[in-house]
Formats: sequence, structure tokens, C-alpha cells
Amino acid sequence: MRSVYAKEMLIYFSSPIFYAVSFIFLCVLGIFFYNDMAYMSMLASRIAQYQLSTGLGLDKIVLRPLFSDMSILLLFIVPIIAMRLYSEEKVNGTIELIFTYPITDLQVLLGKYLAGLSVIAILLGITTVLMLLAGIVVSPDWGLVFSSYLGLFLVSASFLAIGVFASSLTKNQIIAAASSLGIILAFWAVGWFSDVFTASAVAKFLGELGIMEHLDDFMKGMLNVKDAVFYLLFSLFFLFMTLRILESHTWRG
Amino acid sequence: MIAVDGITKYYGPKLAIDGISFEVKQGEILGFLGPNGAGKSTTMKIITAFMPPTTGRVTVMGYDTVDDSLEVRKRTGYLPENNPLYTDMKVESFLRFVASAKNVKRKSIKASVDNVIMECGLEEVRGRIISRLSRGYRQRVGLAQALINDPPVLILDEPTIGLDPRQIYEIRQLIKDLSGSRSIILSSHILPEVSQLCDRVAIINKGKIVAVDTPSNLTAQLSDHRIIELLVGERMDDALDLVKGIEGVVSASRLNSHIVIETSRDMDIRPVIARKIVEAGIPLMELHAKEMSLEDIFMELVTEEEV
Repeated sequence: MRSVYAKEMLIYFSSPIFYAVSFIFLCVLGIFFYNDMAYMSMLASRIAQYQLSTGLGLDKIVLRPLFSDMSILLLFIVPIIAMRLYSEEKVNGTIELIFTYPITDLQVLLGKYLAGLSVIAILLGITTVLMLLAGIVVSPDWGLVFSSYLGLFLVSASFLAIGVFASSLTKNQIIAAASSLGIILAFWAVGWFSDVFTASAVAKFLGELGIMEHLDDFMKGMLNVKDAVFYLLFSLFFLFMTLRILESHTWRG
Repeated sequence: MIAVDGITKYYGPKLAIDGISFEVKQGEILGFLGPNGAGKSTTMKIITAFMPPTTGRVTVMGYDTVDDSLEVRKRTGYLPENNPLYTDMKVESFLRFVASAKNVKRKSIKASVDNVIMECGLEEVRGRIISRLSRGYRQRVGLAQALINDPPVLILDEPTIGLDPRQIYEIRQLIKDLSGSRSIILSSHILPEVSQLCDRVAIINKGKIVAVDTPSNLTAQLSDHRIIELLVGERMDDALDLVKGIEGVVSASRLNSHIVIETSRDMDIRPVIARKIVEAGIPLMELHAKEMSLEDIFMELVTEEEV
């Protein structure tokens, strides 16, 4: 597992895709951050002008929108990070190497998954610079920042599990990325049912399946075991499915 | 070392290999010979535990490729068709990855990487990115990854394809040096290569083994006809008619300036032919027996069924 992990990390950091994706992610996020900060400074000057006292602060005006923007950006970026994990091996034929080395499918999968998680963690880690920048102006609610990051990491872990699953299905990286984006969007849309049909039990159940629904509490600074468990089980389910798909290469023609 | 027992493989409804059985002993090099799509790569993928056979079983050093696939993989070095490599990695870091994936102990990884780099002549390119290497060097990297944990069994799928003559020579030399106590299976459709390198040859066509034997036995046994070439100075038509009348001649025909005579194997009628030609007053320029090359046998075996 460790060997596969090290190999995947080496390839991530020597491939242009990772740098392109991080560049775009950080640029877009920087623009959002700038906008939110500018908006807050405008509000702050108004408030000072009219001597209003309001409950508005950094957390509500800058951080919460920023975190929710991050979750949307991750939704697009994680499939791109995940798409190469199996598809690249299939198209290059290296799958024949890795499947004839004395390592189990599970070890390979975990190595790849952990490498993907590390890349996401690194990206999220870089964005903490924005928190520090904001911290120069007003000290943010660090508890909220922590729980939001935890939520973002967990939801990304779920995205990644879907991405790895899609990657195991095809040797075309574009198809892998597009279909994992499709699955993620479907699980996002499922969450809206509870908003539309509040009374129905089925809608409530579907609402609970929504991949973004469980992020709300994290973003409000609340840590619920229920939400964390949801993301863990969700990821495990797709990793398990991936393992089944990989095993099928032994009996499929 | 390797025992293949009646394996078949279906890709969907398509039969890729059909009841193949053979054995490879320790220290032996077995060559797989066959046209493209004959089932060479499929057989190799089954032996390396990449995929299971539909029926039948394969054991490598007593371990079943399906039930003890990890044990088989520990003992097998595999160079797949087209030599797939992680081309974004550097030679040395790639080999280090392979070593740790193949359970080489942490302490000895450096030593075994250095060793295999030396063995395969990769010293000059050890720090280079694989995608920038020439085909010959890439092939060496492919061999190096197969060899890194010093496996007793090597499966090489077309190790010399796409190389220039000098590189082919070097890779063949390398394979010869590697054999020693190892069992090697290599596939090829280059006949001289197989006859030079291999102790035994298995000719595969349409998923079946057509013949297994040593290259020399194959040449001897399978050519039940002896070919004699005759060159006369003039009156070629007369010579042709004359030869056709000699006992033991199966057929005679014109080929360019020569007359090609097929005779049965068990008797050598060259003296008879010579005497008759001379007696008829036809100037005899040349008369010699032509050994059937492995290539001829191969063509004969492989094209037989299609006719």
C-alpha cells in the first residue's frame, strides 16, 4: 500500500494536471475571497457611517460564503484529481504490471485513495492562507473554520470515492471525470427532495442521502457524528464498489 | 516449474485459447511462436495470474495461479506486451517503486535497484524520465522491473519487438545471460530469435499448440519431405520430365532457374538423380539438398488449416 501511495504521489507531482487544477482552484477561490472581503469592507464603512449595530461579521459575510463556494469548486475539481487513478493505468497498460505484482487489489486501492486524499488535503491546506489573511483584519471564529474544513475534507473524501469508482470503470479519463461529476450532481440533486416535498417519508429519506445536505451543520460550526458517519459510509460504499469492479477483471472476458 | 494443464479462455463468446497444455522445467527457455492473435499473450496473462483461465489450471512452482495468485506473483517477473511503464517517473524511482511493491525489504531496496540497473545496463539513464528514453532503453527498464526481486520465473511477451537490429542483439544477449537457473517463457514471431534463444519451441496457432519440441527436432521431424534443388545448364524441360520419372520423387516443379524436387524423407536419392541427368547428357550444374528451416515449418503448420 505504501509503495502504491508513494508512486501515486510522485506521479501527481510530476503531472501537469495537478498544477493546472490547483492553479485554477486557488485563483478562483482568491477572486471569491477578494469579492467577499471587499463587500465586507464596504458594509463595514456603511455601518461606521450610520453607526448601526448589526450582527454582521467576518464569519457570516466572508467565511461562510467562501466555504460554500469551496465545496462547489471541489465538486468539480475532485473528479479531475481522481480521473487518472485507474483510467491512466488501463490506457497505458500498466494495470498489467500492478495486477501482477504481489500486492492485493485492496492495497492498490487504498494507496491510490490515500494519495488522492493527500492531494485534496494539500489543496485545502494552501487555502488556509486566506484564513490567516482574513485574520489580519478581524479574528475569525477558529472553531467555525476548523469544523468547516473538516466538513469540506469529508465531503471531498466522498467525491474522491465516487471519482475512483468511475475511474475503475473506464480507460477514458474524460469519461471517468464526467461520469463521476454526474454521480456527484445526482447525489446533490437528491438532497433537494426534502425541500420540495417536506411531508413525504420517501422525500425525507432521499433528503438524507443528499451529499451536500450533511455539510450545512459543519459550515455552521456544529460537529454532528451523524454527518461525519454519513460521509465515511458514503466513501466506504463507493470504495467497496470499486473493489468489486476490480475483482471482475478476474472473471470477465 | 510451470505446468499448464488444459487451459481454455473465452473472451465473451470468442474462444481465444483452446486446451493448451505444456510444461517448463527449471532453467529452460520455452519460446512461443505464432502469428498475431494466436493466443500467445492470453496464455501469458493467465500464467502471470493477471486473469484466470475459463477452464483448466496453471501452477507455477506448485502454486495455483487462481487460488494462490499472490504466491505466483511473488515468483514471477513479467514483461507485458508493448512494455507498459509509468512513463512520468524516473528510471530509478520507478524501479524503487517496483522493488517495494514486490516486497523487497526496505534495507535491500537500494541494493537490488543498483544491481538490476547494472545487470540491464541502465547506469547512464538512471536519473532520466522514462518517457524520454529510446525504445531500447525502455525495453531494458521493462526487463529490469521484471527482474528486480530475482524471480525464478520470467514471462517475456515479445521482448524484442520494435527494436533496431543492434538493440535486438543486445536484448537477446541479456536474456541469454539471465537464463541460468531461471525458467523463461518468451513469445515472438521472429523465428531465428526463437531458434537461437530457446531450448524448446511451442508453435501456437488459433489458440492451439500445433507442436512443441526443440528447434532442431522440429526441423527434423516435422519436415517429412526432403527438398532438393537442381540446376541444369540447358534442356530444363527434359530434365524436369526425367526427374519426375525417378522413383521416390513426390513432386518436381520449376522455380525460377532451378528445379525444385520434393522427395520422401527416408531415402536420399541425390545420387540417382545425378546419374540419370548425366546419363541423359544434360549438363549438371548444381544439385543440393535444402534443409527445411524453422520458418518453412512454421508457415506450413500455420497455414495448413487455413487451406
